[in-house]
Amino acid sequence: MQEIDFYRADSLDDLYRLLAETGGRVIAGGTDALVQMQRDAFPAAVVIDASRIADLRYIREDGDRIEIGALTTYADLLASSLVRRAAPSLIAAAETVGAPQTRARGTLGGNIANASPAGDTLPPLLALDASVTLSSARGVRILPLGEVLRGPRQTCLEPGEIIASIAFRRLPQPSGSAFIKLSNRRGMSIAVVSVAAALALDAAGRIAEGRVALGAVAPTAVRSPAAESVLAGEVPGAETFRRAARAALDDIAPIGDVRATAAYRREAAARLVVRALNGAWEHAGGRAGA
Amino acid sequence: MKPITVTLIVNEQPRTITTEPNRTLLYALRDDLGLYGAKDACGGEGECGACTVILDGEPVNSCLVLAGQADGCHVETIEGLAAGGQLHPLQRAFVETGAVQCGFCTPGAILAAKALLDRLPDPTDDQIREALSGNLCRCTGYTKMIAAVRRAAEDMSHVR
Amino acid sequence: MSADTFTVGKTEIRKDAWDKVTGAAAYVDDVALPGMAVGMVVRSPHHHARIMQIDARAARDVPGVLAVVTAADVPGSKTFGPLAQDRPALAVDEVRHLGEPVAIVVAESKTAARRGVKVVAVEYEPLPAVFDPTAALEPGAPQVHPGGNVVTRYDVAGGDVEAGFAEADVVLEHVFEVPRIAPGYMEPEASTAEWNADGTLTVWVSSQKPFEDRHQIASVLGLPQDAVRVRSAVIGGAFGGKEDSGLAILAALAAWAVKGTVRLVNNRHESFLAHPKRHPARLFYKLGAKRDGTLVALQATVHMDTGAYSSYGPAVGGLLTEMVPGAYRIPHVRVETLVVYTNSPFSGAMRGFGSPQAHFATESLIDMLAGELGMDPLELRRKNVLRPGDRFFTGAPLDQTASSLPVILEHVAAARARLAAIPAPAGRVAGVGFALAVQSMGLGYRVPDDSTNRLEWAPDGTIRVYVGAPDLGQGLATAAEQIAAEALGIPYGDVRALAVDTALSPNGGVTCASCMTYVVGNSVMMAARQLIETLLAYAADKLSVPRAALAYRRGTVVLPSGETIPVAEFASRAADEDVPLRAEATFSFPYPEATTPKHLPVGMPHGMFVFGGQVARVEVDRDLGTVEVTDLVAIHDVGQAINRAGVEGQIEGGVATGIGYALYESVRLKDNGQWVDGFTEYLLPTAEDVPARIESVIVEVPEASGPHGVKGVGEITLVPTAPAITNAVCDATGVRVTAIPITSEAIARAADPA
Ligand SMILES: Cc1cc2nc3c(=O)[nH]c(=O)nc-3n(C[C@H](O)[C@H](O)[C@H](O)COP(=O)(O)OP(=O)(O)OC[C@H]3O[C@@H](n4cnc5c(N)ncnc54)[C@H](O)[C@@H]3O)c2cc1C
Repeated sequence: MQEIDFYRADSLDDLYRLLAETGGRVIAGGTDALVQMQRDAFPAAVVIDASRIADLRYIREDGDRIEIGALTTYADLLASSLVRRAAPSLIAAAETVGAPQTRARGTLGGNIANASPAGDTLPPLLALDASVTLSSARGVRILPLGEVLRGPRQTCLEPGEIIASIAFRRLPQPSGSAFIKLSNRRGMSIAVVSVAAALALDAAGRIAEGRVALGAVAPTAVRSPAAESVLAGEVPGAETFRRAARAALDDIAPIGDVRATAAYRREAAARLVVRALNGAWEHAGGRAGA
Repeated sequence: MKPITVTLIVNEQPRTITTEPNRTLLYALRDDLGLYGAKDACGGEGECGACTVILDGEPVNSCLVLAGQADGCHVETIEGLAAGGQLHPLQRAFVETGAVQCGFCTPGAILAAKALLDRLPDPTDDQIREALSGNLCRCTGYTKMIAAVRRAAEDMSHVR
Repeated sequence: MSADTFTVGKTEIRKDAWDKVTGAAAYVDDVALPGMAVGMVVRSPHHHARIMQIDARAARDVPGVLAVVTAADVPGSKTFGPLAQDRPALAVDEVRHLGEPVAIVVAESKTAARRGVKVVAVEYEPLPAVFDPTAALEPGAPQVHPGGNVVTRYDVAGGDVEAGFAEADVVLEHVFEVPRIAPGYMEPEASTAEWNADGTLTVWVSSQKPFEDRHQIASVLGLPQDAVRVRSAVIGGAFGGKEDSGLAILAALAAWAVKGTVRLVNNRHESFLAHPKRHPARLFYKLGAKRDGTLVALQATVHMDTGAYSSYGPAVGGLLTEMVPGAYRIPHVRVETLVVYTNSPFSGAMRGFGSPQAHFATESLIDMLAGELGMDPLELRRKNVLRPGDRFFTGAPLDQTASSLPVILEHVAAARARLAAIPAPAGRVAGVGFALAVQSMGLGYRVPDDSTNRLEWAPDGTIRVYVGAPDLGQGLATAAEQIAAEALGIPYGDVRALAVDTALSPNGGVTCASCMTYVVGNSVMMAARQLIETLLAYAADKLSVPRAALAYRRGTVVLPSGETIPVAEFASRAADEDVPLRAEATFSFPYPEATTPKHLPVGMPHGMFVFGGQVARVEVDRDLGTVEVTDLVAIHDVGQAINRAGVEGQIEGGVATGIGYALYESVRLKDNGQWVDGFTEYLLPTAEDVPARIESVIVEVPEASGPHGVKGVGEITLVPTAPAITNAVCDATGVRVTAIPITSEAIARAADPA
């Protein structure tokens, strides 16, 4: 176990002050950070616990905008009927994170800040076009999630800066979203490939807006502009979804590792894009294609 | 490392310890408080659930919580489950169903199951399996653990 | 049988269960002895390297560090091992696998120990390494030990395999691969050693073989055997992996070095790297049959990777060799098995002991043959299974025990039909597969295999059973208690088994080889008969009546008048006089002289066998290749179940382990040169990965020599699981898996070009 010094912040002001004074790093649920500490791999010698800052743990609705505090846990998400209605893809992702013990502690902010290519909430949040509010003693900046994620375990956060919240807008009705995760074991496991999709349909039943994001197939979770441009304006259905899936392959660069080969990840990614789009379409009131 | 002072409300009893700042809740319970029911089976990866305790009502891997993070919190451990020498229905069901073999995963599994039944008194088999999915067991194949949780749920519904 | 017994055959509640559900059970790491120090091991970061220098000065200077122990300090034998003494307690001049112990840091606290471990400076000169057994056999391969990479070679034949293939109409040749897997017990290895003022050592272990540990510790410490006392703590699972004295030796060395008490506890990564695994193997099989399905010849060459040290590898290789033909009568068989050193973490004993490897190949190939012949795989098996009176290819005779095979086959047929009728849900295909298995009991001919156990009447008339072999969690103590209670006609509640303590317990043998209930049970029954004799002789003396005038019935001494006196009256008196009423008996695993073949290497053949069969239903996502085992029916002949829930528990746990073998588990080398060494990447089945209810069908064909007809059930329960699953996957998809664990990629239907 790594040697550290420990402080607990009870408020945001407290947190900024401790970050400035100690040059330490924040932890929330600790489900990634503690694993790193036990391997002597946490990138800081001072740990500041933010997990008790109530101001960062909330789920709010403001018109069509949903905002989620960074300290919101997976268990919180799963208990929220608001999120259940507005973002089934995010619920589906939260359901598959680890086991109940992980979901009770792990936070949405931590999943983003940890920036694992396989982070489960990242594809659904990308497909919801989520933005992230970063805050520090210096002030606040709001960035699209895609710009926050810089590489495996790398974000754009500056020293002293934290993730305060995540927000997204509901898609206009009829619309739907879905998330599918492929992993090597049924219980408790990391994604081999994951895909989220969101679809909004126009009055004629065509795709007004379609978004696709993939996890574990690139250095970060990624949106697929190629797939999205295939979808725009098309009639939803098997044929369209298959074309989108093929296009999505241009936006990913999977690697092979102990969990799967690169080739399998590519094939599986294509299959999952079709399935996720089907799921989103079904949720939007459509009929699943083959 | 500057020592920290932490108060944990363990099984309703406040216990104050001064310990190292990198001490996990698991080792605060074991090494500082002498409560050995929570076990370390995966080396602090959160993968085995043998260290499961209930922290402010939620099942957590105590190996992934720093003791300082739990300051002032309620911690329910296996030692607190048998009130007044009476086994909790889950403990009784684990004993009577034959769900206990080597026993190393047992405290964690019982607490994970308790967190489930506290929230969902009448779970389906699949809900039980999900609730236990973070608790590895190599001896039992889970069949009797699942049966024990089902049986405890029934026993508890009769009491209500 | 249970109708006329009062505890045997019933599900009695194991007596340690209360402690285990309340957190009171004390495993090694749960007992803090006064003044106890912490030991931590400095381990090799290389797969193979020469040690140029170890500089421990900085570590010794760390505040709180009490000692640093290296090979140079070892007072006795520098090496040890259960069969060959090829493994250094602490590396001597060379490391042969990643994670090998190089030094021990002993400190007052974990933090000080960690700081010390970080600054022990070891200078290495890396050497070439080899990780594949076939590659290690090549000329010019890196040499793991000076004597070459072949540890043991078996070449065993029955019949004339060339002539056999000449008779065959169909010959199939295939290569199978099985992975290195971890025993996966939940409690990592732990040991506490206490140096006593009188120059003796007490060592607490989590071990399958305390008596053997005593021997190994004494040898490395250069102490006489009786200066070492080994005590068994509660054991958090073992599965063969705790037939290893490595950590207990290190704890003893640490305690000796500081003349104090030291505890060593492995973390999971250390457990993966430095404790026994199941041997990975490559199996080259050739099977010949007649057009009508009659098996005529089988030839196999097996390359078994024992890793850097031999451990029980030679014995595992021997049993694997014997198990190659599985549960089938094949007139011409030849098996060549090479047990090979590599620079992998070493392999040793693990539940099944060579049998799972052999059966994966055999049971796969039988299904493949059925496909080739256009025959139903069940029919093919019916035609070829062993029958009473047959001999194994080793010449070992098979008695009526084999009469369970047809019974098992009928259960297999019924389960298969039932599971095949369950439709596949949308988007998935379903399939049903099955496999048979045979497993030997006991250690093999000419390997000492005795179990001594003792019964003692406590002053209150209850019975203490000094079981001389540890209960690993599987319930050996409970079985011994039930058998003792039955033999003495007293309630199960009045019998209590004690944990093994080499200072107090007789030597009950190593807990292994599917034979503990059998050997301990027999020994306990013998001891019970003697104990009654001892009691009656004592009572006769006290009552001044002839011995023949007394009888024993259910915890009482019966006088000629019919009046009864509770045993407690005599037991308490005897205890007061310091002549406690006790009896001890030794049971030796039987190998009938007349029929046991004598031409084979030591440890062969085995002479007693159990059979089983399992039926799996799987659902497969055809596009992604993911497999779910939805149902599993396990049919096992246990002779007689002593404790029904205990037997079911052995079956359910074995099946889950078999599911892991088939689908998930492999300790393999990653691209970054590290082994998979933790539960994040080494996936054990969770509660969501096994069927909610594993169905056990218990067949009871009694073993004539067994206590109440008992046979062994500890190992066979995981043997047929993996081939049953791969056979089911083949039924569902047409894809034949010849290497486990199954990967989704191997099953996924190649994408149509979308
Ligand atoms: C057994 C197990 C299973 C898991 N399974 C999954 C899974 O299936 N899918 C998945 O996606 N993840 C999984 N995880 C990973 C982990 O649970 C998630 O990434 C979780 O969301 C992390 O949140 P946390 O609050 O615990 O983060 P912490 O561990 O507290 O922090 C993680 C990192 O984020 C930083 N950080 C945290 N919060 C903030 C903030 N508000 N602002 C700035 N930086 C911050 C920390 O400095 C640290 O570097 C698993 C973990 C474990 C132990």
